[in-house]
Amino acid sequence: MHGEASSIGISLEKIRQLKDYSNITPELLETVERYESGTMAQEERIAFEEQLRSDADFKILVENIRLTLLGIETQALKEQLDEFHKEIPETPQIEKSTTKVRFLSFTKLAIAAGIIIALGMFWMFSGSSNDKLFNQHFKADPGLPTTMSSTDSFVFYDAMVNYKQGDYKTAISKWQQLAVKTPENDTINYFLGVAYLADKNAKKAIPFLNKTLDRSESVFLEDAHYYLGMAYLKSDRTEEAIQEFKKSGSEKSNAILKHLK
Amino acid sequence: MEHVHNIDSQLQLLKAIKANDSVVLKQLYVNNYHKIETLVLKNNGSKEHAKDIYQEAFIVVWKNVKNDRFIPENETALQGYLYRIARNKWMDILRSPSFKKTKIIQHELNVLDKGIDLNDHEKDGKQEFFEKRLEQTMEAFKNLGAPCKELLTAFYYEKASLREIANKLKIEENSVRTKKYRCMEKLRQLALASKK
Repeated sequence: MHGEASSIGISLEKIRQLKDYSNITPELLETVERYESGTMAQEERIAFEEQLRSDADFKILVENIRLTLLGIETQALKEQLDEFHKEIPETPQIEKSTTKVRFLSFTKLAIAAGIIIALGMFWMFSGSSNDKLFNQHFKADPGLPTTMSSTDSFVFYDAMVNYKQGDYKTAISKWQQLAVKTPENDTINYFLGVAYLADKNAKKAIPFLNKTLDRSESVFLEDAHYYLGMAYLKSDRTEEAIQEFKKSGSEKSNAILKHLK
Repeated sequence: MEHVHNIDSQLQLLKAIKANDSVVLKQLYVNNYHKIETLVLKNNGSKEHAKDIYQEAFIVVWKNVKNDRFIPENETALQGYLYRIARNKWMDILRSPSFKKTKIIQHELNVLDKGIDLNDHEKDGKQEFFEKRLEQTMEAFKNLGAPCKELLTAFYYEKASLREIANKLKIEENSVRTKKYRCMEKLRQLALASKK
């Protein structure tokens, strides 16, 4: 979001004058804090960025504060790293495991291969029935009505239109952009999850649905459990699927549970 | 467990790094250290070298994440990125003539480091000036009195709210605000005074 101080074009002479700066007010400091933390309201941000463009002195003051903030954070991190370092275990685990693999005997490998083949066959068989069940029951979430309330949610509802038209990939890519900004938002996580699932990508759906469930007050809780169950079902993780359907307790979940017991 | 193994978790990882989430930072730090230590030890370095180089690389990664200069392409992108930066730093030190003559002194490490930090962009006066200013600020912050240092760390690094700090210190929210401002002023003066 924010480039380093140096990335903004100010003349060197101007910067040299920084040494005389003095009048940074508490208000300006807090304005920069809001800008840095991304909590500035849109109108204020536009005005702020406009002033940065037009007022070179202002820009220098702001860059100066940002540099100080970066200095604080970098030094604080640096000091924390030494604490982290004390917690590094003496023997590297990764090293050990690679050498072990190297010395595995052929017979052990053969046994391992046998197990893998057996598992694969099990997967294929159980897979087909789970797949069938999934296809019988799966219906994509109908989505939300697309009334536009504010400009902020424009992208969200724009993607919702794509979603409802069955263009899941486009919807996903738009919601993804929002998810980067607000990864804790349960609505976005939920719809990303169901969109991935509708797009037959259960593996990607799972983490987003899980994330939705992090919000215990979410209105999507019941449905998120259900679709997470469906995602597990599609991934042939039947046990986990059952757990989720049980947690959901919705009619749809109970209907599918009957087939799984 | 799902959370650790896909690209979406990388986006969450980036978010946590930006928030200076100490649990995530620690995990990232601890889990990726040994690969670098192995590399450095196999290539004429000591454990001390490994630690120094790794921490510098870690700070570069953190900064680039913070500035949105890093975009993950696969599920272990950030871990790979950290490794590559640390490895390049070590290779540069190995190639440097001073390394062959003497064992590295921290100072030389720093000099080399700056060249790499700039991402191969031309290093003009302006950039150099900012780098220097940043170092002065860091040094000043290191030596700042404990009350100010703790307050600024809580607010700017740990991202605690004014209210949270006020509760902890058992003072009014508004006095925290004032204190924070004064501490910033103090820090900036200190940083300026250290100007060489």
